[in-house]
Amino acid sequence: MIQHLLHINHVSKHFGGNVAVSDISFSVDEKQIFGLIGPNGAGKTTLFNCISGFYPVTSGDIIFDNKTINNLRPDEVCHMGMARTWQRVKPLGSLTVLENVMIGAFSITNATRDAEEIAIEQLRSVGLTDYAQKIAGSLSIGLKKKLELARVLATRPKMLLLDEICGGLNHTETETILDIIREVRNKGATIVFIEHDMKAVTAICDWIVVLNSGEKLAEGTPEEITGNPEVIAAYLGGGHNA
Amino acid sequence: MKQITIIAVIAGFAALLPLAIGENPYFIGVLISVLMMAALSSAWNILGGYAGQYSFGHAAYFGAGAYTTMILISRFNINPLVSMVAGIIVACIIALITGSIVFRLRGHYFGLASIAVAEIVRLSALNFDFTGGAQGILLSDVSLWGLDLNSKLPFYYGMLLVLVITLGITLNLRTSKTGYYLQAIREDQDAAASLGINLSFYKNKALLISAALTSVLGSLYAVYIRFIDTTAVLDLRLSIEIILTAIIGGVGTLWGPVLGAVLLVPLAEMLRSNVIGDVLVKQGIVSANSGLGVFLKENLAHAHVLVYGIITVLCILYMPKGILGLFRRKK
Amino acid sequence: MFFLQSLLSGILTGGVYALAGIGMSLVFGVMNISNFAHGDLMMLGMYLAYFAFTLLHIDPYLSLLLIIPTAFLFGFILEKVFIHKIIDHPHQNQILLTIGLGLIMSNTALLAFTSDPKILTTSYSSSAVHILGGISLSVPLLLSFAITTVITGILFLFLSKTTTGLALWATSQNREAAQLMGINVAKMSAIAFGLGTALAATAGALIAPTYYIYPMAGHTFLLKAFTICVLGGLGSVVGAGIGGIIIGIVESMSSTYLSSDWKDVVVFIIFLAVLLLRPQGLLGKKGEQ
Repeated sequence: MIQHLLHINHVSKHFGGNVAVSDISFSVDEKQIFGLIGPNGAGKTTLFNCISGFYPVTSGDIIFDNKTINNLRPDEVCHMGMARTWQRVKPLGSLTVLENVMIGAFSITNATRDAEEIAIEQLRSVGLTDYAQKIAGSLSIGLKKKLELARVLATRPKMLLLDEICGGLNHTETETILDIIREVRNKGATIVFIEHDMKAVTAICDWIVVLNSGEKLAEGTPEEITGNPEVIAAYLGGGHNA
Repeated sequence: MKQITIIAVIAGFAALLPLAIGENPYFIGVLISVLMMAALSSAWNILGGYAGQYSFGHAAYFGAGAYTTMILISRFNINPLVSMVAGIIVACIIALITGSIVFRLRGHYFGLASIAVAEIVRLSALNFDFTGGAQGILLSDVSLWGLDLNSKLPFYYGMLLVLVITLGITLNLRTSKTGYYLQAIREDQDAAASLGINLSFYKNKALLISAALTSVLGSLYAVYIRFIDTTAVLDLRLSIEIILTAIIGGVGTLWGPVLGAVLLVPLAEMLRSNVIGDVLVKQGIVSANSGLGVFLKENLAHAHVLVYGIITVLCILYMPKGILGLFRRKK
Repeated sequence: MFFLQSLLSGILTGGVYALAGIGMSLVFGVMNISNFAHGDLMMLGMYLAYFAFTLLHIDPYLSLLLIIPTAFLFGFILEKVFIHKIIDHPHQNQILLTIGLGLIMSNTALLAFTSDPKILTTSYSSSAVHILGGISLSVPLLLSFAITTVITGILFLFLSKTTTGLALWATSQNREAAQLMGINVAKMSAIAFGLGTALAATAGALIAPTYYIYPMAGHTFLLKAFTICVLGGLGSVVGAGIGGIIIGIVESMSSTYLSSDWKDVVVFIIFLAVLLLRPQGLLGKKGEQ
């Protein structure tokens, strides 16, 4: 039987009078690659921030690995095995690429030498070995995205939340990242990713949820979603440029 | 050469220095001030430089150590070392209260709140009776293990020891999990939290280490001078001098605070003791009886803070990473 | 009766605090800078009023006509020479630069005027108006409150009716967007800092007849101004106005019912309480976490 690894149960998030996320429910299964899509302002990143512990939810429950994680801090969520990346990359700018990844690795070890070994291995797996001693802030955007990925992977997550990990990348860079994601899934991790780029999503996802104006518009397989007239209308109506 | 060897060599050299220059109390006094400021600034650097949390109120911890020690020795005749430990405890309590308030805040608020806490401590010491109020506390006699505490040497070595310990802790931080975590917090708090770093735990840890070391220095200073009041040990100016020393040398570097102290303290001392004015007069550059000569003689002693101000402005504008920042390799 | 007396003198003093707080909040709002030289700018205002009175025999309140433009120019130049260079720097560098500028000002004053406190005594310095049988209100405080009200009124008209004022307002709402709309934000920063300086100096001049004038006088006012800004919500001009009055009342009440030695402690405790419970301030909508 397939387990639900993450269950979003009627989650809403209000900012003052603004409803950013309204009564959203869905479940993510283990080893799934799960897409969360929608036009700008649909509430995708807000929902990510709720799941990863950065925002408290206004109502509803977030259940991860059979535990309610609504009230956990971001670092506690990370230690439960859920790691996230950022839409606007957040490199630890004046540290080296290797040190950035080591800081991720420190969530599973206390020894500097172990952290370094994990980090070196992780850099190799995403193809950043040559950049290990570079200052993270000086990398190109494509490499920064790869660094973010390497850094969260070093925390050995059960579930990865990727916020527009392909945003701003060219075709080749996108392909490399998608390959890495597939490999990570094959090793047993579950992946939820937010993406604007419909092509990237349909190419890789097993299941997709579409958000629009903070509400769930549709969910289904990539084929069902791309054929859904409501989804197409939302994307066109939202002035989407993908 | 490994950093730890460098620390050992320099400490060894510093330990022999009093033998080399003889027991000139004036020079030993200046050296004690240099060591103390180097240690204070290095202790601040753990929190400010590595964790990126600029405390503008470190005088509170220095004062906590100084006042606790002085009160316990002068009123209850308690052993100076025990009093010093009590000072650490008081400083840590103040640090925990401060931390629980200010570490929830970011940006502008953190600096402001750290000043507010320090001002509350200062005004309390000024207004309570048991702290001696505006008169401060005078210590007539103190003894420890038969050491000659009228000599400056025990304090010279005491300050040196605390400096070496502080540098050792800093060095250890640079290669340990805690050190990496503090730097991650400095660089980006959200990224740090998302990578599993408990922000308030690590910030408080850095603050406690920093406050405890600062408090020990306060205790040493108080017993050394045998007189404290709020102006000497709790003033905002002290907090700012501590930061400035680190800034000039290089924030977030191992040796920056030491370098800053080596440069700034003798400069301040020269201005304060009017060496510069005397030299100008002796060399015949300025006549002792001329208006300028009289002005220099009367006022240069007050000018060291002005000079600090000018250095601060120039440093932030042209050298915000400090002297060591100029040489730091670019990767 | 004590209560009413205390309340009224609190409000009167609070008016001047409000002026200092508004100046700081304006600078914060437009430039996103915590100005640690604000207290020392107040101190300069005190000395300006003092020398205008002793050397030029101009009444301290009348001398505002000279002090306001002088201070504005001084602030404008300070911004153009120093502050604009660090506008994108980390907060701590901004704080340290303004601390440095403040140290230069206060210690230059120390060299020039010595640390001896000066007292500005006008013919009406110690006169008071009696109302409601028993409540006495100091004439200098009443005058300064009236002037504060007028200046605040003019400032509001300026901010809400003139093109420059609206541009300042827009810059404080969103610097990037203002720039995209063609507003010269660099110029707005200099104007804001000039205005902030003018308001600080005005507040200094207004309290000159009732306080000791000495080089380090700015120190206590700096922290008060911060408390006022944080209380009202950093960057909120209206908030700072209200915050100033509240702090005036709190001080006056703690002097009456506690002891004047502890009034600053009470102010700082309120400061920390606001940071703890409502960091966005009383009127602020959003705050940093």
